[in-house]
Amino acid sequence: MKFRFFAPLFVCAALSLTAGEAKHYGQPMTLKTETKISEILASPEKFKGKRVRIRGTVTNVCEERGCYLNIKGDKKFQELMFKVDDGVIVFPASALGREAVAEGTVDILVFSEKEQKEMCPVEAKALNRKFDPAKIKGPLTVVRLNGLGADITS
Amino acid sequence: MSPDARRPWRRWNTALHRDIGYLAVGLTLVYALSGLAVNHMAHWNPNYRRTVKTFDVGPLDPQLPEEELAAQTLTRLRVSEKPRSAFQPDPDSLEIYLKEGKYSVDLPTGKVLFEGTVPRPVLMAMNRLHLNAPKQAWTWIADAYAISLAFLALSGLFILRGKNGITGRGAWLTTLGCAIPVGYWIWWAYLT
Repeated sequence: MKFRFFAPLFVCAALSLTAGEAKHYGQPMTLKTETKISEILASPEKFKGKRVRIRGTVTNVCEERGCYLNIKGDKKFQELMFKVDDGVIVFPASALGREAVAEGTVDILVFSEKEQKEMCPVEAKALNRKFDPAKIKGPLTVVRLNGLGADITS
Repeated sequence: MSPDARRPWRRWNTALHRDIGYLAVGLTLVYALSGLAVNHMAHWNPNYRRTVKTFDVGPLDPQLPEEELAAQTLTRLRVSEKPRSAFQPDPDSLEIYLKEGKYSVDLPTGKVLFEGTVPRPVLMAMNRLHLNAPKQAWTWIADAYAISLAFLALSGLFILRGKNGITGRGAWLTTLGCAIPVGYWIWWAYLT
């Protein structure tokens, strides 16, 4: 009886303690300095292969496997994909709209027409919002972060 | 003297197969059900139930700041919830993120698409465990389960004796069962 009475209080207390805290996914964060997404997108060659730490709002999450996040840039209309191999990190759909701090290595990928046709359509759409499998023309070059670890505010 | 008494390993084999089998029932159901669920990901979302609604709020001025556009859209939609954030992926589009989902707005026309995601709690938990989302101790539990499954498969071959055992009917069925993945792989990888 006592437990039933106090249980909701415990739940509320636990929720209030976790509210606003960040949940960590993947490897520990190692960098102190953040890099602006606009800087990475402006000169990706300069950052290729380098580990960077970025911050921004989550604008897209893989709802099927939780294998990527898109993170909003500091300049208008910009976002950067943070991609992990299936199962390495599984992000929840509830991350959408929350703030993320993420670390990964910058990569520049070129997908051929054949690769674009064969790739997961959800991921293709996340890489290029205008992606239409019926209108694939030529190779697609994308800049993305090969994800290592991330903190997402709850 | 019974045949099992002459070969005590058979008694151990049967007893271990039985008890490990009981222990594995729960995990087998988790992996089997989630296996079915994720095997058909192309046809449905096994983790979330999606809701889609459309609205028309009238044209919005794309020159306004994101926050202002989000506020105007939500006011016109009569949504009082404070958004988590908003994003303009291009000059004519706006996305507003709320707890329940996302509103995608076509600014010049005012057409709004709402996409909500509601977790399928039981199936999502099974799928997350199947994909080892928790990591940590679950990695060891899943490894122990995988070893148990291998043991169950091999020990099961030696439960029965005689014409239905591994030297009779069992040999044919086991060979057929092993041939299915091998044959399919050869067909898929080399012949197509």
